[in-house]
Amino acid sequence: MSNQDYYVPHGTYWPIIGSIGISTLFVGFANLLHDVSWGGPVMGLGGTIVVFMLFGWLGTVVNESVGGIYNKQVDRSFRWGMSWFIFSEVMFFAAFFGALFYARVLSVPWLGGAGNNLFTPELWEGFKAAWPLVSTPGAIGQNGTEFSVGFELVDAWGLPALNTALLLSSGVTITYAHHALRNGHRNALIAWMVATIALGVLFLGFQITEYGHAYHEGLRLTSGVYGSTFYLLTGFHGFHVTVGAIMLTVILYRIQKGHFSSENHFAFEGVAWYWHFVDVVWLGLFIFVYWL
Amino acid sequence: MDIIIIVILVVILFSLGSALIGMLRGGAKGSDKMFKSLRTRISLSVFLFVFLMFASFMGWIEPNNVLPTQ
Repeated sequence: MSNQDYYVPHGTYWPIIGSIGISTLFVGFANLLHDVSWGGPVMGLGGTIVVFMLFGWLGTVVNESVGGIYNKQVDRSFRWGMSWFIFSEVMFFAAFFGALFYARVLSVPWLGGAGNNLFTPELWEGFKAAWPLVSTPGAIGQNGTEFSVGFELVDAWGLPALNTALLLSSGVTITYAHHALRNGHRNALIAWMVATIALGVLFLGFQITEYGHAYHEGLRLTSGVYGSTFYLLTGFHGFHVTVGAIMLTVILYRIQKGHFSSENHFAFEGVAWYWHFVDVVWLGLFIFVYWL
Repeated sequence: MDIIIIVILVVILFSLGSALIGMLRGGAKGSDKMFKSLRTRISLSVFLFVFLMFASFMGWIEPNNVLPTQ
């Protein structure tokens, strides 16, 4: 399409396949949570349909883009689409950081009597209005054996710092990849992309080790507000790193196919921004969970 | 010390936002703005990490690994 008129996409069956896939996925997941025997398999089927839809739909878009049938208007709509997706991601993480802030800075001190003059020293046995909230009623490890909050884990030079170094390094390598792409240095681009993906995968490996360690120390999702916020924030972050690594792999594949030029590479830009975003989220996590 | 760390973090977020605006604009100018902003954001992030480690080494800040005595 050579003109710059509003682009009307052709008819496609991918949206309905996506709807069926997502519905099947969640019906399966809901039943899995209720211990229904067919929950797991149905969820797996739904996930398979979603993956099939993603390959099919995005593959169609890639082919159309490479085929040169998109105009500037389509380019703009991609950029806006990415921006709204990013907005939802920012809000998503803002909610969890907000929960951490609320629990830590407001609700726990309130329970300790701050601001409302209500002194509650014996709210429950062993209660201390301090962060992390180590003793919570009904939490795993209570009943005399208070769970520890994994004090070894938060050693400044331990796994969290190593993981931060790894993720920040991947931020550096993707910046070099970006530079190489803009200057048409194909081999350097591929090498930096491979390094970025490898660092991301290494991060995930260490994160799994860290979870094993934390779980062993008695820190669970059910260990009160500290455990919940810790796992929700780091867990969803890890999920985002996984998605980012998959997207980077797709971009690497497309680079090898020669889909991008030094002037025209929006797909790379979108994924690079996403990777930088995930990197910043981790930096925020590292600072607020482990340091400040 | 906390304020310095938070201020750097805010500047990092600002650079990331600036890169987003560059990406949204597109074209040669937008692409340039995006790349430069992302370069600023990673440079500042690496600096912040090194600073954090150095501050900890010097005993200026302590990680959350000790039980508050409150």
